[in-house]
Amino acid sequence: MNTGNQLLARVADKTAAAMTKRAHYSPPWADLSIIGIAGSSGSGKSTLSHAIVNKLNLPWVVILSMDSYYKPLDAEASKKAFMNEYDFDSPDAIDFDALLETLQDLKAGKRAELPVYSFEEHQRLEETTTIYSPHVLILEGIFALYDPRVMDLMDMRYVVPQRNHADIIVPRGIENRVAMTMVTQYIERKLLEKSTHHRAALKSLEAGFESEPLSKRVVILEETPQLRGMNTLIQDIDTSSEDFIFYFDRFSCLLIEQALNNVHFKELTVETSAGMLYHGLAPKGEVSAVLVLRGGATFEAGLRRVIPDCRTGRLLIQSNVRTGEPELHYLKLPKDISKHESVLLLDSQMSSGGSGLMAVQVLVDHGVPQDRIVFATYSAGRVGLHRLTKVFPEIAVVVGNMVSDSEERWIENRYFRC
Amino acid sequence: MASAPETRPHVGPTQCVGPDYRSESQKPIATVSTEVKYETVTTLPQTPQLIALLTSTRLIALTYDDGGHRKIRDKNTERADFIFYSNRIIRLLVEEGLNHLPIVEHTVTTPVGRNYAGLLFQGKICGVSIMRAGEAMEQGLRDCCRSVRIGKILIQRDEETAQPKLFYDKLPEDIAERWVLLLDPMFATGGSAIMAVEVLKSRGVPEERILFLNLIASPEGIGNFATKFPKLRVVTAFVDQGLDSKNYIVPGLGDFGDRFYTM
Repeated sequence: MNTGNQLLARVADKTAAAMTKRAHYSPPWADLSIIGIAGSSGSGKSTLSHAIVNKLNLPWVVILSMDSYYKPLDAEASKKAFMNEYDFDSPDAIDFDALLETLQDLKAGKRAELPVYSFEEHQRLEETTTIYSPHVLILEGIFALYDPRVMDLMDMRYVVPQRNHADIIVPRGIENRVAMTMVTQYIERKLLEKSTHHRAALKSLEAGFESEPLSKRVVILEETPQLRGMNTLIQDIDTSSEDFIFYFDRFSCLLIEQALNNVHFKELTVETSAGMLYHGLAPKGEVSAVLVLRGGATFEAGLRRVIPDCRTGRLLIQSNVRTGEPELHYLKLPKDISKHESVLLLDSQMSSGGSGLMAVQVLVDHGVPQDRIVFATYSAGRVGLHRLTKVFPEIAVVVGNMVSDSEERWIENRYFRC
Repeated sequence: MASAPETRPHVGPTQCVGPDYRSESQKPIATVSTEVKYETVTTLPQTPQLIALLTSTRLIALTYDDGGHRKIRDKNTERADFIFYSNRIIRLLVEEGLNHLPIVEHTVTTPVGRNYAGLLFQGKICGVSIMRAGEAMEQGLRDCCRSVRIGKILIQRDEETAQPKLFYDKLPEDIAERWVLLLDPMFATGGSAIMAVEVLKSRGVPEERILFLNLIASPEGIGNFATKFPKLRVVTAFVDQGLDSKNYIVPGLGDFGDRFYTM
């Protein structure tokens, strides 16, 4: 009888399975809440929507007007439109398929390109508006509650004034303070739920990582005397600002050089002036960078020394003062970032890994494959690194210094002197 | 690579280059530094990034792409690129060179109240560049050591004897108390470098306080140095295959001074 050993073996199997299983991170914009506000022309849908957004004053609540989804008109319809004979108040004028696609993309946490409709030309313009990462979206339009496929995606539906298919009826738009309060309270509750869920998701990523070795894709800079000497000056509270900036730039230059060892290279044979061939390497393609603001901007000087013309995206992630939850406030990436050979993601420090996870998620959502992302940071803690590499096992991480996980951010304050 | 001319010899050891976590098949193959057996010689880690930088500096007007097609490059771009890429290698060389200076343990308090067990560098340093190509390395040195003193030595080949001859030197007065970073990018036979070291020694700098920084070295030059100055440290980015009949490094990168300053 060997039951004990069998049991042990089974437990070991389970542990191994749990260890190799990829952890999942759900950003706060996953599972977007959609609120539909419909009503006839001039009923105050738009006023109500804007009043709600103004009252909440949060960047992750956005309004999507159905006006963007008017179908582009052909010559005949266009002629009618200019003679005011085309019926814009008919559901046939709306491109519900395009709307549905947008909403499905956003619901999946992906980036969506909204068409821009020109009433002068009765055509969609070439340009699009990018929407990414709203937590709550208010869809307003006469036919917001028309297409059952769209309605299925909604968390709540309102009509101004009374119509069918509505959970709440707002009889006289903005004048009805009670209804407005109900809507905002509902959204606030939804946002709180999402935030709680997000923080819990971050927390759950911590479990059981302490005993595991760090991923092989985490590269820690070798502690040479030179590196320690620079660290001594960088970390000494008594170092002058001038020296701090000088040595930090020098350090970041080395960190970027090391980060570039993790991008992909191709073989390239060159002929030297001695007429001989040298079997060398060249980068496979464009390497761009994305700075996680404000910390990542401390690497800009070092980055320019290594790649002077590096295209650089920026995103601002702030930790909520009250909850500590990382929040995405601003995002500007090169349009073709998904085609870049490698993207260096730079942040001065990583503690819990919350903003790092969010930043990588943003790149992944914009079509950058994981194995093309190199995350580089001056310092990081073990738990943060575990979280990041459990969720995104194919990214490479380059770390200047290992520190405790509870280290607060200080580099950016020191570098920018405020 | 297949259609590159077969007549030109392809030299030096090759290996897969890339981070440890990638398998051999995921890493491209490149020529790497020739191994030398002296303890006083430090070669920079053969990272893909360093190899790519060296490839860029070796590149002349002619090159071959993946399909073996010849590509012609613009002369001006070529010089700007050469300066930029060689500067990046020089910075890495200086950073490595500074690792060999003496240190003392030194613990500091960080802005977040934690202690950092660090170190301080002991001893004063100075740079000495062998004119003219060595002067091209001064910017890289200043990028790491802001107000460093830099002496200069001019050594030319004597037309009559074909031996290197000292024409000029201007060195810090207290050089005997300093560590000297001797700068010359191409280390072929080491004729002028040997003469420069003799000058430094005659000013009272002991051999063990001299670090000779160069981009590309030849095994012959390294051998000459090791026999003559067994305590002197050499830091190089890459040891090439050897010297040709005219004592140029091969495959080399051409005349460094010309490519940096006048071409």
